[in-house]
Amino acid sequence: MSASLARAVNVLKEVIDAPIASYFASCVHCGLCAEACLFYTETDDPKYTPIHKLEPMRRVYAQEYTLIGRLLKWLGLSKPLTDAELAEWQPLVYDSCTLCGRCSMVCPVGNDIVYMVRKLREGMAIAGYAPAGVLAATQRTIEMGSPMGVKLPALKAQIGHIEAETGLTVPLDREGAEYMVLLSSMEIINFPEYLSAIARIMKQAGKTWTLCSSAFEATNSGIQIGVSDLARVIVARIVEGAERLKVQTVISPECGHAFTALRWEGPNLIGRPYRFKVQHILEVLDELRVQGLLKTQGFEEKRLTFHDPCQLVRRGGVIEPPRNLLRMISNNLVETTDPGKYNWCCGGGGGVSANDDAEAIRLIAFKRKKTQLDAVKPDKLVTACANCRIVLEEGLEHYQMNLPVVGLTEMIADHLASD
Amino acid sequence: MDAAQLLNWVRGAGLQLAVFIFLLGTVWRLIEIYSLGRKPDLAEARHVSGASGWHTLWRRSIPIPGMMQRAGLTYIAGYGFHIGLAAVVLLFAPHIRLIHDLTGLSWPALPSPFVDLLAVMTLVAMLVVLAERLRQPVKRFLSTFEDWLTWAVTFLPVLTGYLAARHLLLPYTLTLSLHILSVEMLLVLLPFTKLFHAFTVWPSRWFNGDAHGRKGVAV
Amino acid sequence: MRINNDVEFKAALNGLDIHQQRRVAAAFIESVLPLCPDNRVSSALGMVKRTGISDAELASAYREANSARVELFTQCGKEADWLGQAGHFVAKATLYCVKPPEPGINLAWEAAMAARMARTCETVAEGAGTENHEAENQYRILYDLLNT
Repeated sequence: MSASLARAVNVLKEVIDAPIASYFASCVHCGLCAEACLFYTETDDPKYTPIHKLEPMRRVYAQEYTLIGRLLKWLGLSKPLTDAELAEWQPLVYDSCTLCGRCSMVCPVGNDIVYMVRKLREGMAIAGYAPAGVLAATQRTIEMGSPMGVKLPALKAQIGHIEAETGLTVPLDREGAEYMVLLSSMEIINFPEYLSAIARIMKQAGKTWTLCSSAFEATNSGIQIGVSDLARVIVARIVEGAERLKVQTVISPECGHAFTALRWEGPNLIGRPYRFKVQHILEVLDELRVQGLLKTQGFEEKRLTFHDPCQLVRRGGVIEPPRNLLRMISNNLVETTDPGKYNWCCGGGGGVSANDDAEAIRLIAFKRKKTQLDAVKPDKLVTACANCRIVLEEGLEHYQMNLPVVGLTEMIADHLASD
Repeated sequence: MDAAQLLNWVRGAGLQLAVFIFLLGTVWRLIEIYSLGRKPDLAEARHVSGASGWHTLWRRSIPIPGMMQRAGLTYIAGYGFHIGLAAVVLLFAPHIRLIHDLTGLSWPALPSPFVDLLAVMTLVAMLVVLAERLRQPVKRFLSTFEDWLTWAVTFLPVLTGYLAARHLLLPYTLTLSLHILSVEMLLVLLPFTKLFHAFTVWPSRWFNGDAHGRKGVAV
Repeated sequence: MRINNDVEFKAALNGLDIHQQRRVAAAFIESVLPLCPDNRVSSALGMVKRTGISDAELASAYREANSARVELFTQCGKEADWLGQAGHFVAKATLYCVKPPEPGINLAWEAAMAARMARTCETVAEGAGTENHEAENQYRILYDLLNT
């Protein structure tokens, strides 16, 4: 057994907790999880069955944590995990799983399969069986502060552009601000409109806010591939910045996994609760709406539908805010089939969109979203995750669907009531 | 060994052995699994009514939108045989008498014609389950020897019980012995196979519901 | 009168009709076109500059530019290629140039912003700090167009 394989097995042994053992003990091979997974539904290939993706971890569970398995191992009758198997499972675990979590909702015996995949990725990553692109992104985040290598000067260039465009100031390192705004590299690079929207909304609501020069990046690809050590460093940077600036709330941007990483996994990574709140931008906007501090004007005439980003809605619990906000500016909002927490993944989360090997399967899986959209026939697709936006646009382009995709925060900002 | 001797054995030593292995195995497996523990979650939880581990215990039995259309037969046959099995085990007079002898508890029985019907329903449902496992690509792909074995070991008690109760096919003493023996096989295998889900489904659903519930998502 | 800031710039743009907006947008994009090596974008731009372009031709140009824009996005998690990203914004600017008019949106202003982002990307790629003068360049372009 190679050194890295030994490390992988050790990690897998460690991550198997009571829930995971309970889940493996409960699986009855009913295959219902496959029916919830877009990679199976669009390919009819049983190898994409979610519980099957966990086979390497199941073997470790059987050999380490079941009486019969231990007995067989002791008698030399069990098959140890091999490098070849981890290599074989890498595409199943990383190319055809976006950590969307639908499988965890349907398993009749209650298995939280997405949780198990997350943990399996930790073992795979430590043995080096994770996509090179995502490993590189995580490394870049550690060394350069951002998975895409976006450094402070680039951010400042963006800030300059936005300040000119809006005539507003974008505060940097302002102590005692109510909100510390995080950005994802995706927004900085692809969607500068997001920061401009924030500036305008905060101005109207009269809230103090700031960016943090040592921690402006929310994206945490360490979480996606399962490298907790690196994920911890990334979160710790944000925690240091937020606690140093004594802000009340850190705002997670329109990026799915950033929210999961910061809101739900962060405290567990650093080993203590935060001294600040974490909210997704949509939660903040919804709060402002309730407080009467978000004033909009005009209505979108086009037929709108919302794509629920998995990490935000099903995995993050921010289900109603997008709808509340959309209803402020639209009387023509229709839900997709399977809306809200049941919605289907865009196909690009969990590191899949950064993984070149996964492009073909991702575009096939997109047919699920296409089917949903064909049934509803919206004029515009609204979402709240920068990665979903690009993945959706690519998918729509690939299937020659003429449907504009818009970010929700920007859309709200475009409807801000002028004084 | 003739039929009478077999019957004596399965009612005596056989039963003791099977129950002993079942109890010991169950306790061992429960400890083996749940002593692994769960790290506390330090993230601030949401508190949304209806979203908790306890809710998921029962709510997980309901298929989510779209799943019945995709996998209706799995749900119908699966629930069919579980409910039938539970009804036959718990509402058949001889079974209730056995439980009363062991524990002192007792409750009204279902008239045997109904139990007969339920037994047939259960057998049919189980045959459908088997056919599905053979036919449906995902189930076939996932299935191992253990899946066929556990199916057989669950089917046989219902079949032999039905044959015994109706005095069909073989002499009663023999079918009764076979019925009790098949139940003993089920007991012995239960803690060490996927049949253990009878116990672990409850904590599993709870863990799942709890993990989602603290995020404010009712599953 | 000269245009000195974005308030005046925006006001002047709002005074243009749709054809003038497209013309000035095209001029803004020309300034940053070298940042986008994609033929689809340059051919879409070429179509706009012809007078008497039909709606069908505009729609075709839109599709071409949109394909380029979607392809040139930087993927989440990939290393930022700022020069490549500049091309994405040039394609995006071109989209505004050819899309049908939409209430509440000034096509020329949106194209101008996207063109500036393209220039910002180039500046970042060169490590040349945050300053660039594309805004002033655009003021001059608009001024020249208004006064010919």
